[in-house]
Amino acid sequence: MNNAFNAKRFGKLFKKTLLERPVQTFGFTGLSLTLVLILYVVAKSITGFSAAQNLSFIWGLPIGGCLLASIVFGYFSSNASGASFLTLPASNFEKWLCSALIAGILYPIIFLLFYRVMDSSFVSVYHHHLDPSAPFYKEQYESVYIFNFNGIVAWKVYPTFFLLMGIMMLGTLYFNKIPFIKTAIGICVLIIGLIGLNWLVAKIFFGSISDASIFYSVTIPVGKEEGSIELPDQISKVFFYGLWYIIPAILWFLSFTRLREKEF
Amino acid sequence: MIEVKNLSFGYKKRNLLYKDLNLKLEAGSIYGLLGKNGAGKSTLLKNFIGLLFPTDGNITINGYAPKKRLPSFLETIYFIPEEVYVPALTINGYKNLFSPFYPSFNEKQFFSYLEQLDVNDKARLNTLSFGQQKKFIIAFALACNTKVLLLDEPTNGLDIPSKIEFRKLIASIFTDDKIIFISTHQIRDLDNLIDRVIIVDNGELLLSASINEIADKLCFKTVSEIPSSGKILYSEDTLKGKAIVIENTEHEDSKINLEYLFNAVTENPVIAKSIFNNQ
Repeated sequence: MNNAFNAKRFGKLFKKTLLERPVQTFGFTGLSLTLVLILYVVAKSITGFSAAQNLSFIWGLPIGGCLLASIVFGYFSSNASGASFLTLPASNFEKWLCSALIAGILYPIIFLLFYRVMDSSFVSVYHHHLDPSAPFYKEQYESVYIFNFNGIVAWKVYPTFFLLMGIMMLGTLYFNKIPFIKTAIGICVLIIGLIGLNWLVAKIFFGSISDASIFYSVTIPVGKEEGSIELPDQISKVFFYGLWYIIPAILWFLSFTRLREKEF
Repeated sequence: MIEVKNLSFGYKKRNLLYKDLNLKLEAGSIYGLLGKNGAGKSTLLKNFIGLLFPTDGNITINGYAPKKRLPSFLETIYFIPEEVYVPALTINGYKNLFSPFYPSFNEKQFFSYLEQLDVNDKARLNTLSFGQQKKFIIAFALACNTKVLLLDEPTNGLDIPSKIEFRKLIASIFTDDKIIFISTHQIRDLDNLIDRVIIVDNGELLLSASINEIADKLCFKTVSEIPSSGKILYSEDTLKGKAIVIENTEHEDSKINLEYLFNAVTENPVIAKSIFNNQ
């Protein structure tokens, strides 16, 4: 018997994980998509299409994925369910992979499909209601387009999603009770701490500063104007590749080792 | 076989619950692990199943190290914790999702055990009473036919008829290739069920002996006056006189009272050890 991975056993585990708590997994996914729809509609009516698309995409993918990660890994809120999960005859890797696949792969696929259908429906309704004989028809038509999954915003959201997912998976395996809230608080504390530390370091180096973005740029007053000091391109690339790819990979791996070493 | 070698375990490294514990449990016995609340019974069971890892020393169960939680190990062992987990599924739903992980699971036995334990509700399991949930998990665990069965306070939450049925079931499923390990502080529930007794207190193994050995070395009787000679481990006033536990130097036949045995061993561990180690 392969004790690390067995496709047949993994299939059973995947089925069990999905169907064991359908209200939580499917119910939550449905709720999350409904909230995305509401956010899209509300934001569209207040600020227009572009903001609605960005806002619902930025919030829907990472936050929804994180919440789902806290649910699929959330067996440790009680002794009984934690013991049941850890003693189920499947490998630690299979258990980790199963939860990671549901929250990290399956949810984004469902989200993207839903988002495309929702977005294209609204955009097409908008286009349909335009008057082709109106003077600014072409401009109005071209001002609203389907959200580009390969655009700048999307490519900033994808790594953020994987980063936050990694943090959430790890947090859920560390905090047994209400892991989502505790991890979310942890993330906020980390971000605030980094901003403060960054500000302090920038202050030490540059004296008077107007603004300091974490590991990116520092704005300093120059006479009556302001100037921005940015990281050199090469160093900036190293930092962003690290943040977007290496740190998420490390966090995902750490969540697996945490599950393997989990005592309960 | 369960082999514990120099096991040390503590929730905090400086405050060990078990220190250098050695234990060998052979297949073909039903073991009763007795101890007070907080004596470390559940902790020992959790070390056996791999939910907790030894601070020092080794545990091997049929050649496996539990802390690795390998599937080939986990499908040969079933642990019923004191509080059981049942998802919002029906009996059939649970069986369909969980039984495929246990190669020796027997569906016919499962439904027969459910019937014997009087669990026949069609509702979702999480809506059943605690006792019904526990009986359901007991039936499922028994039907998995694992080589090792660990039960932590299995009779907690069961009514009197269910406790009787539970004892009958355990006795009926037992075979010589199995180890059944029952931890409890409700000592009377194990009467006529176990064939080896293990008593732990303050993280120390005070007794590990078979029922025959206990009957051979200790005598349980009621007397009007406490005898002046002999090693008396325990005495208690009863309506019929004084119930005592005394070293069985006269080779008398007596019925073991597990409650008195437990009190005798925990109150006089030194005398008990001297009696049982004196082969």
